Amino acid sequence: MAGDGKTQAKPMTALLNEDNELAAFDASAVPAQLLPVLDVESSAALRVVRVDPLAILKIVKHARESYPTPVNGQLLGLEIGGVLEVTNAFAVPTQPGSDEDMTQYQVEMIQSLREVNVDSSSVGWYQSTRLGDFLQQPLLDVQASYQASAGAASVVLIHDTAKSEHSGNLSLRAFRLTPTYLDLIRRGSGFTTRDVAAHGLTYANILEEVPVHVAASALGRALVAELQWPAGAGTDADADALQRPSSFNAKLRARAQADDAAGGAGSGDAAGGAARLGSRGLARPMCTGALDLAAGGGGSLARQLEAMGELMDEHAHDASQWMYWKRGEAKVRVQRQQFVQRQALANAAREARGEAPEPVPQDAELDRRFAPLPEPSRLDALLNAANLGLLAKGLTQSRGPALAKMYMAQALHGASAGVSE
Amino acid sequence: MLNLNLPALASSIVKSGATTVATSTTQQCYVHPVVLFSVLDHYLRRNDNQERVIGTLLGVRSDDGRIVEIRSCFAVPHFETEDQVEVDMEHHRSMFALHKRASAREQIVGWYATGNKLSKYAALIQDFYSREAAPFNAVHLIIDTDLTDGNLGIKCLQGSPIGVRAHPENCLFLPLPYEMQYPDAELTALQATADSAESDEGYAVMISDMEQLEKSIDELCAMLERVTAYVHRVCEGKEKPNNLIGKYLMDMLAIVPNIDATQFSTLFQTHLQDILMVAYLTNLTRAQLNIADRLQRII
Repeated sequence: MAGDGKTQAKPMTALLNEDNELAAFDASAVPAQLLPVLDVESSAALRVVRVDPLAILKIVKHARESYPTPVNGQLLGLEIGGVLEVTNAFAVPTQPGSDEDMTQYQVEMIQSLREVNVDSSSVGWYQSTRLGDFLQQPLLDVQASYQASAGAASVVLIHDTAKSEHSGNLSLRAFRLTPTYLDLIRRGSGFTTRDVAAHGLTYANILEEVPVHVAASALGRALVAELQWPAGAGTDADADALQRPSSFNAKLRARAQADDAAGGAGSGDAAGGAARLGSRGLARPMCTGALDLAAGGGGSLARQLEAMGELMDEHAHDASQWMYWKRGEAKVRVQRQQFVQRQALANAAREARGEAPEPVPQDAELDRRFAPLPEPSRLDALLNAANLGLLAKGLTQSRGPALAKMYMAQALHGASAGVSE
Repeated sequence: MLNLNLPALASSIVKSGATTVATSTTQQCYVHPVVLFSVLDHYLRRNDNQERVIGTLLGVRSDDGRIVEIRSCFAVPHFETEDQVEVDMEHHRSMFALHKRASAREQIVGWYATGNKLSKYAALIQDFYSREAAPFNAVHLIIDTDLTDGNLGIKCLQGSPIGVRAHPENCLFLPLPYEMQYPDAELTALQATADSAESDEGYAVMISDMEQLEKSIDELCAMLERVTAYVHRVCEGKEKPNNLIGKYLMDMLAIVPNIDATQFSTLFQTHLQDILMVAYLTNLTRAQLNIADRLQRII
């Protein structure tokens, strides 16, 4: 970290000298790992998004409570040397209100949070999704405005409640718009086939994914450990657990006891202690639904396939629309060529008769007469393809665990059949 | 600003209209994990020289007010001196109004504070929050952020007026049983947090569903081994049998459904075919998309 501080010191001092007010600012008081923040001109590429459990839980709660309606909210945090730290988040109301109202709400919320020392800079926003079809025009527009105004490091976190619950695995992904896409909108020339091809924009590179890390504070870790190990530490605490007013439900207590009895008995104190320490990794209340043999199939699969069918229909529709435009365009071009040829022939005939040739129409004149059909924007089709791609990929990936669960069910059935015989 | 002063003398009894009598007492409390994380975050971001932080708890109550579910909370700035405490009421009000817009159902149910025991102003603040949470009693949540006993000592309390004539500064805090609530979606988030706490780097990366499944199976195997070892020890007479554990084991075994073998194999085969078909179709779709994309670039 000391090395970092040295390399960053230069631009910072330059910055301080320019501004008298800032000159009084004691730079040595800033911890070394925070120095990159002062260096406003640095443009370290965003490598990773580090999310605090608090922000995740707030997002998860907001998304869960209004499922299946998609919700969104603001992310607060700080970007330090290519790492975007998301430390807090707040929900934005979903009920209809004017844009001014919304802005007012967010400004007030950020001000209120600043009073209690919460990071008050917006680093992006979050959106919940269902079935993964989050890639829509509004999302791109909002994200574009974030990346343009709130700092280039802004991300959008996408959380899928249903997927998290079904797979027992947190579904949280961070996305940003690629420079390719931003470049295309900045030119404002619309999304014609030629532009899209020239920029190399495909359905797969509208958004880029940034890896998400979950990092808890020391107290946060202590809390998780305590939630996993409700009785506190030591065996005698287990006895207390039954009397403690603040305790988990009976099932968890019994499980804790069973584990403790299994781990602690029959061996020396040290071994028992080690077993208990090891048993923390068992994450008792944190057992997610990953092993739920019934989950992941049935209803959600049917809905996903349905959504995929719809997207495919749209994809075909987009393709036929494009073909229609292409045919129309070709027709106009042929008409124009025929006209030019006719003109040339007529002029040749006039010359043969010794008359003065008619003036050949200029390109502009031709353009006016045979206006080329404007190409419909390719963006919708691209987004549609991107959604289809995301959905198909997700479904393919979910088949692996589904297969594993199938064989697990078979083994379980075989074993129970063996027992009953 | 709300200024709450401890009376200089016990005799200086001022008739205050602030005494509220709870219509019904709370009996059970459910806490969502996000609340605890919020409190810890607030504590980490406290001002210099500030020993404890307080804040407002939001949640829902059952109609009769006996069951409280604490769903979220927000921080409230406050300032303590030897004989006086100031709570920023304006901040509290404006934050509540803002929260109300995003989640209309949540009401004020109480307040939280950090520290291993009650602050000496707890009764005064409790009185204030009881009025906010009226007609119900306010719930008080404390978290020992100093880890005095080696743990966070999370406690839920409720105030009860004491004395012949109720005074705001007289309050008896009674323990309130609480349970953590873990909705499935939150569990996944906590699982990720637990992974981060266990990893050497201090953070957890998002893992694929397959990896998550593998981890869960590993955990399951470890649990099975422990339970088997325990059962063996009980059978051999080395361990005192515990009826409760036995009952849970029975329940667990009874869950496995008894399906006819031929029926199961047909089910298995059809399901397997479904899975393979879906995998095939999705892969085909992706291939098609890729081809369409390439063709576009040639045109």
